[in-house]
Amino acid sequence: MLNRSYYWLILALSVPAFLWLIPTIWMISLSFQPNDVLARTTSTTAFGLVPIPFTAENYAALFSFGQTPRWFFNSMVVAGGMTLGVLAVSTTAGYALARLEFPGKGAVTLLCLIGLMVPEQAVFIPLYTMFADFGWHNSYHALILPRMAVPIGVFLMMQFFRAIPKDIEEAARIDGVGWLQIFWYIMLPLARPAMMTLAILTFLYAWNDYLWPLVSAREPERFTITLGLASIQSNFAQSEGLGRVMASGVIASAPVVILFLIFQRYVVQAMTAGGTKG
Amino acid sequence: MTNQRRGKRGLTQTQAAAILLLPFLAVYAAFLVYPFFRGVWISLHDWNLLAVAFNPDAREFVGAENYVRTMWGRNMEWGLFASPVMQTVGVLGIGLALLGYRAGRLTRSTALALGIAGALFFLLPGFHPGEDGRWYDRRFWPTVGNTILFVALAVPGVTVTALILAAALDGETRAKAVLRTLFFLSQVLSVTVVTLIWQIMFSPRQGLIANVTEALGGTPVTWLTNEQFAMAAIVITTIWWSLGIAMILFLAGIQDISKDIYEAAAIDDATGIKAFWYITLPNLKRTVTLVVVLQIILHFQVFGQAHLMTQGGPNDSTQVLVRYIYQTAFRDSELGKASAMAVFLFVIMGAFSVVQFVVGREEE
Repeated sequence: MLNRSYYWLILALSVPAFLWLIPTIWMISLSFQPNDVLARTTSTTAFGLVPIPFTAENYAALFSFGQTPRWFFNSMVVAGGMTLGVLAVSTTAGYALARLEFPGKGAVTLLCLIGLMVPEQAVFIPLYTMFADFGWHNSYHALILPRMAVPIGVFLMMQFFRAIPKDIEEAARIDGVGWLQIFWYIMLPLARPAMMTLAILTFLYAWNDYLWPLVSAREPERFTITLGLASIQSNFAQSEGLGRVMASGVIASAPVVILFLIFQRYVVQAMTAGGTKG
Repeated sequence: MTNQRRGKRGLTQTQAAAILLLPFLAVYAAFLVYPFFRGVWISLHDWNLLAVAFNPDAREFVGAENYVRTMWGRNMEWGLFASPVMQTVGVLGIGLALLGYRAGRLTRSTALALGIAGALFFLLPGFHPGEDGRWYDRRFWPTVGNTILFVALAVPGVTVTALILAAALDGETRAKAVLRTLFFLSQVLSVTVVTLIWQIMFSPRQGLIANVTEALGGTPVTWLTNEQFAMAAIVITTIWWSLGIAMILFLAGIQDISKDIYEAAAIDDATGIKAFWYITLPNLKRTVTLVVVLQIILHFQVFGQAHLMTQGGPNDSTQVLVRYIYQTAFRDSELGKASAMAVFLFVIMGAFSVVQFVVGREEE
């Protein structure tokens, strides 16, 4: 009895799940169809959901000319750099706030907590003028640095370090191990799962970030793939052909989708933690 | 005590903490704290982006004038029926807060927050230009209105859909895990991929929706260029994009509900929809509040969808606050005015962040 209702439920949910997937399937399918066909109609086979007539030319074209490979590379550098930077400052500060006693600890924690309330849009104009004064725009570090200042990572790491039993540290202290060594040799290896979660959250954010790169990276060579995709979609039909724009979209999504499918557990954890805590 | 104990390198705890905290505090101070105050400072100036770039002295201190020029008008009056819909919502909010608090259904802080929000909805929309008067900026409040409308459509849409899916997909089986993954997948796409897909989905000539409509014998709707449908199109896109996070937050909440309650209820024949209504929903109250507040914060910052799909149009019907800030700053070069609007945005976001923090704390 229960079993039958379970299969009905799965069946009933498969329909909306398929509908949910249609836009993505459509993008992938269009990216494998010839541009001259798409210029006439987008619904050749099964409303265009099946790529017949089939071609891989759009992808070949992306890599032979156009700036998509360059943008992809930029995104890799920015997302990778931001991930390393956020990990570095968040693990150190998170450990200090969770485990060390020092004067003014409460005040520092509170100061960081207040920072969680400041949305990106409240600081992007002053950041723009600051970076313009330094001559930093159109560079990788201009895209990386502002996110390193967002305290969400510090709080994620702080919560993780707080949950580790104190005995390990105390035993090491008795043996005369210094605080920095404890952090580096004992706590960091323990923190790997939390660092993984934070790394994935940061990478996804960096890869998909739009507003700040839009303001800071004005030269097309400096675009991230997310930004580059925005720049070609306004006039996609005329300039590049629908199929090629869709291929760019697929390429732009591939790293985050693959990352998500492999590390699903961490992504879900990261989003739950990021969602409830800030 | 341990402060005085020295390690091998002779660092005290305070010194170690200073070293470990320094990198973060340095970037935090330089790229968040300082810019925030600088933003407030810019908002008090007449500050043209290009003029100041050439000559740093070209800015002029004007006090609160940017705020006045954005939010106020000439010959302003306050009237009871200036904006009946908003003001009715406000009165309802106040009433709900009072009733809820008296009946013991709302905690004092929730009732207070709801009451204040209601009062603001009642008071603020009442202001309007009197005879011979006009707004200094005709576009600002309609833009705020559009943003609120977007939030008011997207948040319930996402919440209800995500809640139903989470309840249906809670469980350890493989089929459910696959379905969860499918529904979550769109969440990891970037806003530009999402708008790329949906712009063409909604296209009246090439769009999938138009193609299906035509095959069924209907006339395609010009979604993105029609004032009646543009906002709906953006809301649909947003629900598709951002359902995932709400769903997993609900799933986490559902997993925290004790299985014993369901088993006890099953004896009384309360399973399926009954169980959802009488057990899941009441026990999820905190999570629902949290998800709603979180989404209000998230969706109030909507930018990409409106910027890329409709360019704020047609006729400003999808112009939203962040896009207006962006345009004022980087198209019109009026950094002072744009910063004043950014401060306004911060105040609203900040208020909801406080609510989020309070709700988040209630569990502990």
